[in-house]
Amino acid sequence: MEPGSGLQRRGGGGGAGRELAAGGSPALPSRRRKQPPRPADFKLQVIIIGSRGVGKTSLMERFTDDTFCEACKSTVGVDFKIKTVELRGKKIRLQIWDTAGQERFNSITSAYYRSAKGIILVYDITKKETFEDLPKWMKMIDKYASEDAELLLVGNKLDCEVDREITRQQGEKFAQQITGMRFCEASAKDNFNVDEIFLKLVDDILKKMPLAVMRNELSNSILSLQPEPEIPPELPPPRPHVRCC
Amino acid sequence: MAASCAEMEPAAAPRSPGTGELVCARGRNRKAVLCQRCGSRVLLPGAATFARRELFLPSMKKKTALLASSSPDGDVLQDHWLVDDMFSFENIGFTKDVGNIKFLICADCEVGPIGWHCLDDKKSFYIALDRVSHE
Repeated sequence: MEPGSGLQRRGGGGGAGRELAAGGSPALPSRRRKQPPRPADFKLQVIIIGSRGVGKTSLMERFTDDTFCEACKSTVGVDFKIKTVELRGKKIRLQIWDTAGQERFNSITSAYYRSAKGIILVYDITKKETFEDLPKWMKMIDKYASEDAELLLVGNKLDCEVDREITRQQGEKFAQQITGMRFCEASAKDNFNVDEIFLKLVDDILKKMPLAVMRNELSNSILSLQPEPEIPPELPPPRPHVRCC
Repeated sequence: MAASCAEMEPAAAPRSPGTGELVCARGRNRKAVLCQRCGSRVLLPGAATFARRELFLPSMKKKTALLASSSPDGDVLQDHWLVDDMFSFENIGFTKDVGNIKFLICADCEVGPIGWHCLDDKKSFYIALDRVSHE
């Protein structure tokens, strides 16, 4: 039921329906393009987390998108997206989860974290408190995420340079404290660095993963999330962190 | 089965006018399925099968129409592309649940709904022919 649960079922008879949809049957003589297209080589789950208002959704939308629209937020909201990228001759399907609306740290179910191969942690360079929240997010990652998940710290809203409260060095320094965490700054609004973020993350994931595990990494089911608790469970007060002197 | 994918031959089920050139004899989409608004690639040629089913999709114009599922503002659509695995899509977005339905939207510009998925049937993902373009 949960993502990743189909791990050992590669090529097995059980997933017949799925394989049919994706993989071409070699017995068919069809040479035309109408034959079922090449299946994705890899399926990876990426989640975008961070405090409220840092621009997580914009990042998700901005990836390959050129219709950024500040006003047109859907009332129902997007749960997740499937996006396909090609990298080093491989076709990769990303399942991207935007956790907007679930920013209270404990309200994001652990299933999100567990199955994520990539985690994009976002803060807003113009809002110090979103940077100060980072240790709390890291705590969630430490607790729930797979140890080999790739981590990327993104300082968003680079387009608001005049209002900057967090220096680039502060972001870098934070990322350096965490093994394997990459760092960059981006602007979803200007589409600066957004594609690069995802591609870099995917590239890192691919480099790290043994080939055998890569296919059919995710199950076909949709995560069912528990409703958000109305009152967030206790949280330690944020420690002012890495305040550069 | 023995016959090769004859170009224009309609398959068994009667279809709406115009679907003939979109559906190959094996019942698959002959053309790529794209977002009408931004051209984002939803399905590659051959990735989906043609399916008829009456499904109600809220209007594309009003996003608020999604909220009130009782709202009659929308269309009952018959002709769909069906896949049984969400990873068959090149690019697609899923809305949050509306009852036990997730609507499918363009992954890039988020226009929609262009399709329908019921959480009770984990192997059916529909894209309405009328709500996408074909190339």
